[in-house]
Amino acid sequence: MKGKPLQVLLVEDSAGDARLLREMFSKEMPGSFVLTHVERMSDALRHLAKGGLDIVLLDMGLPDGHGLDTVRRAQAAAPGVPLIVLTGLDDEAAADQAMKEGAQDYLIKGQIENRALPRALRHAIERHRMQAETDLLRKQQLQLKDEFLSHVSHELRSPLTAIYQFVTILLDGLEGELNPTQREYLQISLKNIRQLKSMIDDLLEVTRLQAGKARIELQLTSIPDLVVDTVTSLQATAAAKGITLSSDITPLVTSAYADPTRVRQILIILLDNALKFTPANGVVKVRARVFDADPRFFLVEISDSGCGIQPEMIEQIFERLYQAPDTGQAGRKGLGLGLHICKELVTRQGGHIWARSEPGKGAILSFTLPIFSVAGLITPAFRIERSAENSIALVVTELGSESGWLSRGAAVESSHQVRDALRRCMHSELDVLLPKMGPAAGTEFFFIVAVTDTIGGEAITKPVGEKLAGCDQIQQTALTYSVSYRLLRSANRSANESMEDYVGRMAMKIQETVDEVISPRMVKNEQ
Amino acid sequence: MSNKKILIVEDDPDVRKGMHVRLQASSYDTFFATDAISGMAEARKHQPDLILLDLGLPGGDGFTVMERFKTNPHLAVIPIIIVSARTGHDNRVRAMKAGAKAFLEKPVDNAELLAVIRQALGQSTQTSDLSRE
Repeated sequence: MKGKPLQVLLVEDSAGDARLLREMFSKEMPGSFVLTHVERMSDALRHLAKGGLDIVLLDMGLPDGHGLDTVRRAQAAAPGVPLIVLTGLDDEAAADQAMKEGAQDYLIKGQIENRALPRALRHAIERHRMQAETDLLRKQQLQLKDEFLSHVSHELRSPLTAIYQFVTILLDGLEGELNPTQREYLQISLKNIRQLKSMIDDLLEVTRLQAGKARIELQLTSIPDLVVDTVTSLQATAAAKGITLSSDITPLVTSAYADPTRVRQILIILLDNALKFTPANGVVKVRARVFDADPRFFLVEISDSGCGIQPEMIEQIFERLYQAPDTGQAGRKGLGLGLHICKELVTRQGGHIWARSEPGKGAILSFTLPIFSVAGLITPAFRIERSAENSIALVVTELGSESGWLSRGAAVESSHQVRDALRRCMHSELDVLLPKMGPAAGTEFFFIVAVTDTIGGEAITKPVGEKLAGCDQIQQTALTYSVSYRLLRSANRSANESMEDYVGRMAMKIQETVDEVISPRMVKNEQ
Repeated sequence: MSNKKILIVEDDPDVRKGMHVRLQASSYDTFFATDAISGMAEARKHQPDLILLDLGLPGGDGFTVMERFKTNPHLAVIPIIIVSARTGHDNRVRAMKAGAKAFLEKPVDNAELLAVIRQALGQSTQTSDLSRE
């Protein structure tokens, strides 16, 4: 091998095996390598972190390593360095697994043929380099595509704006009275403008979802309110087509844990579709109830009496750019992104979406969303065994604005920044940031459920206060905040209490404490 | 009481004219600039009551304009509303941090535009109602 000497890290605890390998290196690759030998995983990780290595030979049976875990940790410490695992005679299965985890190759100790070592090293390095290149290319392509789509969507907005402006100027009679035909034609134009805007928005939305830039903020969401809202907003459209649009909501006592903006978006897309594919005198209905098959979820169903979906298409409709083949009365197809966006949004909120249909008789689009439960949220944190001294603190941050929020946008942005800041103060496994609870007129409350092993509330509230002080939005918009905490007593599981009962009891305590904090504010607001 | 003056900084002539007709119908006096530099000059000369600012301007984008305005005490008090085709969360955040009173995406709904202008001018009789989701 020509060129610079290879920097090789050998991680092998058996002195005998290590010596054999060293001899092999000296014999087959004289002068073209620099071998560093360590015997423990901890030392290996140090060297990997330092950098400068070209390849690692890793024994899977280290005293402080653990088979596959060894491989994972090595990869994590230095993802840019190719890895060859060293394994014993009867351990090929493990070696195979290691390759699935990302090792480039494996060598069976005691069975390394002549000249096999330099070849194995060469190939491992080359393969790793090619993989890295392909990954990089793919990432770049995706980014280029996203930037292009984003750029195009933005550019389309300016001419669209001008068209919208002048059509509405005429429709609003700012340049004189219109005769009925003129009005009609202009309204057709306006309808198409809205459609165009919607297509551009969809395009951007899909791009953002792909790039992981879409924001989804889970919180207590009232499904009935959203259904009523969207159905009301589409009544006029339905009436214009002679379609009966109604909703049937089984009283839902609890909230969903979802993003209301996104749920509204999903409902509008699905209702728009239903209305589009249903002929005059048809029926579109929205149903909402607890999901029979899994009572931890709500089920929302939108049924229509339209043309239905072909059985072979029933799963494909959620793919990007799928467009219904028979447009007939449906008119323009749109970009075909709506259902794909719905699927992304439903999935990201923890639900599922599917369709059922009898061609010619209509279709039912169903989706589920998780029901909010404090117990569900805190369960992962509580599963971890803790000592008897632990208590649970509820850290309360109150965010207020003396002059009132200027705009909804500013309020949402402040809320988001504060949540980000709070997250950075938490132990992600032990603490839980509850979703927004209670109304937000002038103040907003944020609650962290923290497992502490000292009674020092200061230990929690101080870093939170400091992080908030450093928050741009708070500095810029003169928001006020205060951080306090409340301790929950008897926070340990009693001997004969099941985990489920314990979590349930804690959840109730937490909810009670939250209500105690919020209710004085609510009374004030109602005055 | 004379009409409020609104400076529109927008390089697309059609969009400019559309805004002018719409705002004039709501009794606002409008005047224009087509790029960042003339935008700042016009503002200094005429002291508008409000500025509608596009982000994608020739000769320096809207953010530059806002930064410059902040350094001039006479101009720093003028409320600025961004009206832009460059949508997206990052732009919105940046605009709000730079002191914009609102960030509107093109095409802007007429009712929304007028409501935001009224609010920024302190003419709104309704307070921000945030208790509704």
